[in-house]
Order: sequence, then structure tokens, then C-alpha cells
Amino acid sequence: MNKKFLALIPFLIFMLLCVFLYQGLFGNPRELQTGRIGQAMPSFTLPDLMDESKQWKNTDLLGDVYLLNVWGTWCPTCIAELGYLEQLREQGIRIIGLYYEQAYDPDFGDHFDITALREEVKTMLNRAGDPYQFNILDLERTLALDLGVSGAPETFLVNKEGKILLHHTGDINPRVWRAKFAPIIQELSE
Amino acid sequence: MIPEIGYFSLVLAMALSLLLCIFPMWGAYTGNLRLMRAAPSLAVGQCLFVLVSFAILIYITLMDDFTVAYVAHHSSTSLPWYYKITSTWGGHEGAILLWLVMQSSWTALVAMMSNSLPWVLRARVLGVLGFLGVGFMLYTLWMSSPFERLLPYYPVEGRDLNPLLQDPGMIIHPPLLYMGYVGLSVSFSFAIAALLTGKLDNTWAKWSRPWTMVAWGFLTLGITIGSWWAYSELGWGGWWFWDPVENASLMPWLVATALLHSLASTEKRGIFKSWTVLLAITAFSLCLLGTFIVRSGIIVSVHAFATDPDRGLFILSFLLVVVGGSLALYAMRVSEVKSEGRYKLLSREVTLWANNIFLVVATLIVLLGTLLPMIHKELGLGSISIGVPFFNQMFAILIVPFALLLGIAPFLRWKQNKLPPLARKALGLVASALLLTAVWLYSSYDTVSALTFIATALAVWITLGALVDIFEKVTVEKQLLEGFKRQSLSYWAMILGHVGIAFVIAGVTLTSAYSVERSVSVKPGDIALLNEYQYRFEGVKEIRGPNYSGHAGVVTVLKDEQKVTELYAEKRLYDVGMQFMTEAAIDDGFFRDLYLALGEQLSNGYWSLRIYHKPYVRWMWLGGLLISFAGFLVVADRRYRKRTQNKKVDGVIA
Repeated sequence: MNKKFLALIPFLIFMLLCVFLYQGLFGNPRELQTGRIGQAMPSFTLPDLMDESKQWKNTDLLGDVYLLNVWGTWCPTCIAELGYLEQLREQGIRIIGLYYEQAYDPDFGDHFDITALREEVKTMLNRAGDPYQFNILDLERTLALDLGVSGAPETFLVNKEGKILLHHTGDINPRVWRAKFAPIIQELSE
Repeated sequence: MIPEIGYFSLVLAMALSLLLCIFPMWGAYTGNLRLMRAAPSLAVGQCLFVLVSFAILIYITLMDDFTVAYVAHHSSTSLPWYYKITSTWGGHEGAILLWLVMQSSWTALVAMMSNSLPWVLRARVLGVLGFLGVGFMLYTLWMSSPFERLLPYYPVEGRDLNPLLQDPGMIIHPPLLYMGYVGLSVSFSFAIAALLTGKLDNTWAKWSRPWTMVAWGFLTLGITIGSWWAYSELGWGGWWFWDPVENASLMPWLVATALLHSLASTEKRGIFKSWTVLLAITAFSLCLLGTFIVRSGIIVSVHAFATDPDRGLFILSFLLVVVGGSLALYAMRVSEVKSEGRYKLLSREVTLWANNIFLVVATLIVLLGTLLPMIHKELGLGSISIGVPFFNQMFAILIVPFALLLGIAPFLRWKQNKLPPLARKALGLVASALLLTAVWLYSSYDTVSALTFIATALAVWITLGALVDIFEKVTVEKQLLEGFKRQSLSYWAMILGHVGIAFVIAGVTLTSAYSVERSVSVKPGDIALLNEYQYRFEGVKEIRGPNYSGHAGVVTVLKDEQKVTELYAEKRLYDVGMQFMTEAAIDDGFFRDLYLALGEQLSNGYWSLRIYHKPYVRWMWLGGLLISFAGFLVVADRRYRKRTQNKKVDGVIA
């Protein structure tokens, strides 16, 4: 009897493992439960994407609810969501872009041509829609790192006091907007 | 038309595989010899159709048929022909087809080489292999066909093969790993067939052993070459990252290592029978689990393979049937098994048992480290990450008792040994190992940390133990040459494998402890110093390859004013994907590697350059090669050759 039970142990362990694997399959491994929610926007001073003489500070953004959208022209999903984000802008949502350049490696940099990038961004925004009030260029990825960004697109919802309320990984579409963002915005405006 | 033939050929292969898993199994169950006899021809038949399918994929890639999605996504017209061929396994769909090629070839090989096996066992082994084949073929045909078309809109140029994969190491790394994985499916099939037959005697162990050895040899080689590829191609001198994908190949290796030691005990002494069966099942299960982890996107890995939950669900279901089924069968059958041999504490049996314990604990550590972040999250406890320090620390602790045991293992005989002579020998060895290590390390380096000293001493201890054992065994005969000849190939394989481990331990320890690196910014004519070498930067020249362009930093390496070598550290821009790649320049040597990587261009004609001095790094891969060679050597042993010669006689008796 005892021996029979012992022989059954590997089977039981495997079955338990399968339960976790099955759950994991439908969970998103990229969905990070970051500790950033509820905390203040990290402080930063970064240049504008289109004009490096203009510097943005975290304090410049206070006073209004906004979305911080991490994106890049190299990222197809980011381009795909531009259209919907533009609609949101027309509804009065303030959207600020955090431009994440993939080709530039902070540790091991390469030829990086800012003028060409600006051209590309301009063309892309003309074509796919421009939802942004302005874009912040985070070339060294310091802000992205502080925010716990793991890829693009990612979007943060920040309130008037500069507190992060939501961190969304992946694209924003009508469904995601209704389920995740709209209720919080509703609450804030009341 | 041609791609469709490839697809159809795979359909036929699956039909034959289906027959292979039904008829012989049914025949073995009912005792119908005619049904069982169908197995070998079915096995060979399905293999031929898979090969046709694979040949067609290679052909359409060489012909640049971009109407086929797989070719369009993984190849381009400017890709050299040899990389076109390797691009057939550079992506998911093709890699699975390559797996199938291996799976069906091993099945056919088992069918052809098992003439002397009793029919009930042979039919069942092939039936299980046929079942595995059906699973993989169904997956390919249903979820990941490499023959999918992009009609009517297809590109005029393909997207090119990922530049990281355009490297000789990457050409052979996946096939070798798959050879290992698939080879373990043979051990698995033998174990399942033995369980089904209900005869867990040492016959199955004897049969399973050479197949396991070869599979393990390939697995070792695959892992070694993968590590070497990472080192030479990723551009920052690393060779092991504890990435989930690497762990997925390490776990089967650890269990397979335990398995072949356990198989030896079962074959020679009739002990650990049920344990050996469990290991055989586990080794292959971990291969499947590894595939699941890698292909399902369940864990984020730097090896970003295309992931898809549907595919993951299929593999998980397959895993559930194969592994769950075999573990259930194991639970039902194994309680009837009794161990035969008796042994004392101080015996080879006990050291082999301890070896198994260490290897299984190591596997559990890797498994936990890989899966815990996911389980932790699924339990709602938040995201955690388990990184390199965890694995390094765990393995540093485990390796000490393991290596100590390994050093005396060759001296121990079966059943029992007397303590005093053994203790005398061990003490002598420990003293000499400590002395040699002290001389070696303190003559070369100013500082020696405790851990470095211990680990190096363990490597020396293993090697000394092996040498002393060879000396004792050989000098039994008066003639030295006779003494050498008297030892079996299995014996030499054991020695070689153990010395290989010593090389790996020494290489890992010394390169981790004494590697140095410097980042410098240089202009032509500047000299940078690192250890005893001078690096003179001569300038940068333009380079042009078949599908890339870029710069090469030319560096002359000097030692004591004498020129050692000239190195070209390249920075490539691949045309199609516009991806930058760093091609490190490496001057390899037995005692040290000089490793250069070119960084970005700075202002005023300066370039940034990284210089690494990595002592003994090559010993790791040398060790890996020795270990895998040991695996192949065992198969050439007279015991296994003799059997094939006496095939006919055996067949009659069986």
C-alpha cells in the first residue's frame, strides 16, 4: 500500500505542475504587477523629441490628468493604436508620448541620427494619426527604467497630482479603454 | 505545387505513423506476430516521407520561393546558400520539422538495429515511438506548417535570416540538441515498452544503454556548442545566462546523466530498477516540458521565439497525454518490482546512488528557478524574478560534495570495499590535490579566494583520481601496452567523462575568477594595456559581406614588444533587416582568450573598444567535448558490437 502510494507521487506532482502551466498559458508573462501603481511619477528632465532645446520636467506635467504612452516607430502595435489614440485626443484626453528608440543602445551605442528619426516620426504621425500633445525623448531609457517599462506599447494613467493610477502593457483599443481606463477617468472627473 | 507535395508527404508520414502506433501495439497485446512484424517497415516508411518533406523545404528555400510564408520570413535572395539551408531550421515551423526528421530517423534506426530484440518488446518500442511521431506530425500539419502560402500577395524579397543565427555555431547547435532530445525519446520508449511488457529485468537496461549514451553525447555536444556560440556571437564574452531556454536543455542533460549511471547499476547489478525507469520517463518529459516552455511564451526569455497560446495548448495536451500517461502506467506497474542486488555502504552502488541524488537535486533547483516566477505569479503573490546569482550560488554549494565523490568513484568496486586502503588513497590524493592547486594558483595570481581555491582543487582531485586509477589498472599486467588494451572502452569513456567534468569545473572557476575587461576610447596608433598584453589600435576599415556592410577595428596585439596576432573586431549592419551586429574578434588559446568588441564611433576619430582577457575559458568547451566523446565511445564498446555480430543467434533464442 505504502509503496503503491510512493509510486503515485511523480504522477501527482506532474498533474499539479500541469495546472500551473495551463494557467500560465492564459496569463500574460509580460503583465507585470509593478510597484509603481499609486506612486508619484519619477522625477526627470528630458528633451522634447522634436526640439532638444526644450526640456520637459515631471513638474511641467502636473495639473491635469494625462496618459503617458510609450511608443516608437519601430513598433507595429504602437503604430496600430495611433488612430484610436487620436480619437481619444479629440474627446479631450491629454496624451503625452514617451519616445523609446530601439536602434540606440545606451551601453553600446551606434550611429544615431536624430534628424532622420524626426523625419520618420513626422511622416508616421501624419499618416497614422497624431494623438500627442508632445513627445519626450528618452534616449538613455532612464525614465523607462524608473517606470518599469518592459516594452512598447505601454501606457500609464497619471492624475493631476502626478500619481500613477494605471500601468497598461500592450495596445489600447476600445475594449481595453472601456474596461480599464474609462472607469478611472470617470471617477476622476466626478 | 511543390510545397503542397511537401505537405502531402507529411500527411502520408503521419498515416504510416498512426498505423505504426496501432498495429504492432495491438499485435503485442493479442500476441499476433504478423501485426508485430509490420512495425519495422512502417517505421522506415514514415521516415522516408518525412525526409521527402524536409528535402522539399530545403529545395524551395534554395529556389527563393517567397510565396511560401516560412521562406519569406526566414530567408532572402542575398543570403549565402549554406545559410539558406540552415534557415530551414532558423524559425519555429522549420525547427519543428527538423525535430520530426530526427524523430523519424531515430525511429527507423531503432527499427533496423533491433533485430535481436524479442518481438513483443520490439513492437512496443516502435509503437511508442510511432505515437510520439504522430503527436509531432499532427502539431506540424495542424498548427505550424512550414509550407503555408502567402498567396495572392507575396513579397519579392524575403525578410532574411536573423543575423544572430548566421554563424557556424548556430548551424549545428539546434540539430545536435534535437538529436539529444529525440534520442532520449528512445530511452523513454524502451522504458514504456518494458513497463507494458511487465518485465523490468536488466534486458531493457542493456538495450536502452547505448541509445541513451548516444543521445546524451549529442545533448552534451549541443549544449557545449550553444554556449560557445553565445560567447563568440553575442559580443560581451558571456557563455551561460541561466536563461529559461538554456535551462530547458540543461534539465534533460542532468537527468540523462543520472539515467546513464543508474542504467549501469540496473544492467550490471539488477538494482534501482524502478528508479531507472522513472529517470528514463523524466528525462524525455523534461525535453517536452522544455519545448513547451520555449514555444508557448509562458516565460519571458531572451530567446524570443514566436509564441502562440494555441500552440502552447497543443503541446500542453500532448505533454499531459505522454507524461501523465506514462507516470500513471509507472504508478500501476512499478510497485511489483523487487530489487535483487545487495550492497554495503562503501560500494560503487552507493556512490552511484549519491550521484543520482545530486543530479536530481540540481535538476530540481533548475526547474524551480525556471518555473517559480510563473507559479508565484499564478498564486497571486506578485512578480518575482530569479536570476543568475541564485543558480550560481546553488550550484557552487552542490558541486563540492558531487566533485568529492567523483574523485574517489573510480576506485570503488561493486558490493563492498574495505575502508583503510581506500582512506589512505583518498588522503594521499587530497594532499596532492591541495598542494598542486596551491602551486598552480599562487604562482599565477596574486589573490586567490577561498571558493576559487576549493573549486580548482576539486578539479585537480578528480583528474588525479582518474590518473591514479588508470595507473593501478594498467600496471596489473606486466606489459604496459597489454594493460592498456585490457581496459574496456566503457572504462575509458568513464575516465574521459570524469576528466571532462574536471575541465569544465576548472574552466568555469578560473574564467569567472580571473577574467578582466577594459573599455577604452582609442584613436589610431593608441595602445591599451591589459594584463601582459598591449593592444595597438590601427584604425577602422570598411568591410563588405554578401548581405551586410560595416566597419572592422584593426588591432595589433603585442606581448613584450613582439607581435602576437592581428585582430579584426567587426560591427556589421545587415542589409535586409537593418540590424546591427557585433562580431567579436577572438584570439583563442589553451590558457587564455583575448576577446575584442568594437563599440561606437566617438567624436574626433576616437572609437570605443572593449577588451577582455579570459583565462582558461576554452577549458569549459574542451571539457564538454571530452564528455560528449565519452558518450560516443561507450557505444563502440565490444559488448555492444559483439551483439550485432551474433544477431542471428540471439534472434533465434529470443
